[in-house]
Amino acid sequence: MVPVRRSVKTIAVAAAVVLAASACGESSPGSAPGGAAGDPNAKVGVDFPRADSDFWNSYIQYVPRFAKELNVNMMDPTNSQNKVETLVANVQTLTGQGAKAIVMAPQDTGAIATTLQRLEQQKIPVVTVDTRPDNGKVYMVVRADNKAYGEKACKFLGDKLGGKGKVVEFQGALSSINGRDRSEAFASCMKQNYPGVTVFEEPTDWEGGKASAALQTRLNQHPDIKGIYMQAGGAFLAPTLQVLRSTNHLLPPDDPNHIFIVSNDGIPQELASIRKGEIDATVSQPADMYAKWALYYAKAALEGKTFQPGPTDHGSTIVDVGNGNLEDQLPAPLVTKDNVDDKALWGNQIGQ
Amino acid sequence: MTKTLSPETATTPAPASGRRQPIRFARFRDLALVPAIIVLIIIGAIVSPTFLTIGNLTDVLQQQSALALLVLAEAMILIAGKFDLSLESTIGFAPVLAIALVVPATDQAHGLGTEWPQWMAIPLCLLIGAAIGGLNGLLILKFQLSAFIVTLGMLITVRGLHVGVSGGSSLFQLPPSFMYLGFEKWGGLAASVWIALIAFVIGIIVLSYFRQGRSLYAIGGNVDAAKAAGIRTNAVVWTVLVLGGVLAALAGILETGRLGAIGANMGEGMIFTVFAAAVIGGISLNGGKGTLFGALCGVLMLGLIQNLLTLMSVDGHWFGAINGVIILIALVLSRLTTGKAQE
Repeated sequence: MVPVRRSVKTIAVAAAVVLAASACGESSPGSAPGGAAGDPNAKVGVDFPRADSDFWNSYIQYVPRFAKELNVNMMDPTNSQNKVETLVANVQTLTGQGAKAIVMAPQDTGAIATTLQRLEQQKIPVVTVDTRPDNGKVYMVVRADNKAYGEKACKFLGDKLGGKGKVVEFQGALSSINGRDRSEAFASCMKQNYPGVTVFEEPTDWEGGKASAALQTRLNQHPDIKGIYMQAGGAFLAPTLQVLRSTNHLLPPDDPNHIFIVSNDGIPQELASIRKGEIDATVSQPADMYAKWALYYAKAALEGKTFQPGPTDHGSTIVDVGNGNLEDQLPAPLVTKDNVDDKALWGNQIGQ
Repeated sequence: MTKTLSPETATTPAPASGRRQPIRFARFRDLALVPAIIVLIIIGAIVSPTFLTIGNLTDVLQQQSALALLVLAEAMILIAGKFDLSLESTIGFAPVLAIALVVPATDQAHGLGTEWPQWMAIPLCLLIGAAIGGLNGLLILKFQLSAFIVTLGMLITVRGLHVGVSGGSSLFQLPPSFMYLGFEKWGGLAASVWIALIAFVIGIIVLSYFRQGRSLYAIGGNVDAAKAAGIRTNAVVWTVLVLGGVLAALAGILETGRLGAIGANMGEGMIFTVFAAAVIGGISLNGGKGTLFGALCGVLMLGLIQNLLTLMSVDGHWFGAINGVIILIALVLSRLTTGKAQE
């Protein structure tokens, strides 16, 4: 039954594309010039940033679920494969098919500016997820504060190490805003609060192989490494554990030579490792909340609602980030052995 | 002036007396990178006391073993005058599909529901590699398409299949047998290092002393001449392409054991490093020239540079730039020390 429905959808999409093409792509005249106001059941276009990371795959699973729950008239989502040019093309396709609001997660926060400008002219509100565009107008940014990830990791490791010792940090790609935010926050927090801790920053481009090689080398150079901060559990968890296992460094938390590990993402495997005592903590990046609130704000935009800076009813804060843009900063909880079984963690809700 | 003495001439059925000299020169070309590697080792020893320890050097070997197998495959294919870009996708896809066929179809394990016995994972993986290589061969040799475009298309297709089969997630639940080769140590040295070493020794012997191996140089140098000389060129090239796929799949097994999981981006972009290592090591992109020992030196050099930069804690923002400059300097050094023009 699924394949049948899918093929029907495909035909529908194909038909829509043909119609859009025959209408010459201009959507301004006639159809709801006020775009934002009025029809809460207008179509919402969603673009996923990539399909090859554990975190984004969870997000992709959550989006249709919450679309149903929140009664959002979501079109078939597109996927921009981590390329900004694909994202631009996808947005054009979606608006051409009649999307009246767009949810996207531009991984290149600079190059999306002209697209945002065009959408603003067409009066199509945009919700960005995970990243805040450098330029341009958006209705709402739904994002966990990545600087807080770095800070939480720093405080956890700093306290566990008693303010001294050697720490290895697997940096994400420094060309991405999230990798940069985490790296900078971690570095400045360590410098300020725990000057006795030496941090070895390992550039990895989110590649497990590079992290593995760097950790092996670093352990040879400094056998007394006491802590590891990995900026993405999906990429670094297994390689890290594998190196520690092969060098006999994987010791229980009460062992004096235990290496404290804090991670980011909160995928189910990280939570499992916390339960086993292999790693100590992770910052759970809320994949479910991203999906839920992105769609919520997209619908709110269609209804013509407006929001003010300040605390919200779901434990987050809306902040004015300048440019007239608002950002709903969702909480990203630190997960340790104490709260790892919390049902509210998205890593506990999927994959079982 | 010594140009005529490059290895491919050794393949023409020359009288026994003429054979010895070319091999000596071939060896000379082999050693082109050795001075650069020695300089690197000296610098490394000065910069960090850790660098020259046995532990560090064996770790470098382990980190490079999967890459070494890919370079071995690519070097043979290049020598035979062809191209294979799809190796970087095979290294990820072959293990993923093999695993998916043996693990249960839960959300976590991402199986396909077949749940074949777990011991089949490794043979399956190698078979899948062979199949991809065979398909490349079919398109290149029978359909007479350009190897570059065929394998580029294959790279994209196989990468897509990888993401499709794994659902884009990392695979964490792997059969222990599959992890063994990449994780265990044999006699103090990682099993993967032994495997890469043995593969290279076999490769070097076959390409230097066996008729079938020498025929790669003949084909890469001049296909028509090779054909005229009675070499079944298509059969040889096809075999090399299949072997390349198998080696890439084997590299995938080693890498999986080393990393403990298969990421959805495993191998992505690796083909550039593979080509860099092969070309630095003296393999000609035009076919017919270069030796496997040279390619191995290329792999070792890239590994040492990476290791050195990590030990020196080079700033992440400048890592790529410094890495590239050192590679260029090493190339110049090898050019100066051997006096041979690079191709």
